[in-house]
Amino acid sequence: MSTKLELLGQNLQKHLGERIAGLRTALGEISIDVDAAVYMEAMLKLRDEPELRFEQLIDLCGVDYSAYGDGRWKGKRFAVVTHLTSVTHNWRLRVRCFAPDDDFPAVPSIVSVWNSANWFEREAFDLFGIVFPGHADLRRLLCDYGFVGHPFRKDFPVSGYVEMRYDPEQKRVVYQPVSIEPREITPRTVREENYGNVENA
Amino acid sequence: MGIEGILQEGFITTNADRLINYMRTGSMWPVTFGLACCAMEMIHTGCSRYDLDRFGIVFRPSPRHSDVMIVAGTLTNKMAPALRKVYDQMAEPRWVISMGSCANGGGYYHYSYSVVRGCDRIIPVDIYIPGCPPTSEALLYGILQLQDKIHRTSTIAR
Repeated sequence: MSTKLELLGQNLQKHLGERIAGLRTALGEISIDVDAAVYMEAMLKLRDEPELRFEQLIDLCGVDYSAYGDGRWKGKRFAVVTHLTSVTHNWRLRVRCFAPDDDFPAVPSIVSVWNSANWFEREAFDLFGIVFPGHADLRRLLCDYGFVGHPFRKDFPVSGYVEMRYDPEQKRVVYQPVSIEPREITPRTVREENYGNVENA
Repeated sequence: MGIEGILQEGFITTNADRLINYMRTGSMWPVTFGLACCAMEMIHTGCSRYDLDRFGIVFRPSPRHSDVMIVAGTLTNKMAPALRKVYDQMAEPRWVISMGSCANGGGYYHYSYSVVRGCDRIIPVDIYIPGCPPTSEALLYGILQLQDKIHRTSTIAR
């Protein structure tokens, strides 16, 4: 492991300390877990502390763990993952924050910390139904107006519940229940044993 | 067209239908309606190499100027009301070319929750062009097929 990554790990421990619920180093990257209760202050520390100085939020996305590892996952269902970059120090960090409630997932909004989180949080709300308290304008971003459900949840069928057609009598497009059979796709893995010399791939 | 006999006097004779169809096929103005990657091929067809101008085809920025619509790309549920609105604003007579697998029947996104399974669920279609995306030559061939279709219609003689 490079000394630079060790330095980042030490700085994280020094300034976040107890707020880090878990820290993993893999493939030359550091990922930390943060509880939703201290999410906001940890993010402010990450941005403002001179020894961390993550000025930039690259990405924010939701994750649904309900089908992760074929049901072996015992933790919380929804998480919000952010990717941060420090231009000053030239290092990167991944922060994961689990939503405490599975039935009403909510994670504090960090738009006040990084402006660029605005549409990312709208996207995560649209596709996963994760609510961001503190967001000024939490509308759907991608799906149709009046869309019901959150399509990136694992229990959402691929073909959805409704489809669209033009109704010549009402002279407008209307939604009707979906008419095609759902298609089950089971990926077939064709790969030799010990492909790429990766154990337990 | 009859050109025997009186051509040297400066006349040719034809019937009104053929004249009208000749005029229609000579200036088909498509509305610019690119939705996805097919739009790139449509742009190539319109540019200097394939040069739709030589068929009298000029892309128009308004549906009220247009008589052809080329649906080039994936039609999503969110876009479908807008597509119908643009189609309704076009003046008669009007024709529709469905370009590419996605517009023909959903294509790659047939089983998706957010894509219309073929733009013929929203508007009537005259010509389907297969391909993903169809090449510029395929689009050009489709347009020529539409011209043939227009030549077969009769406005006055029924």
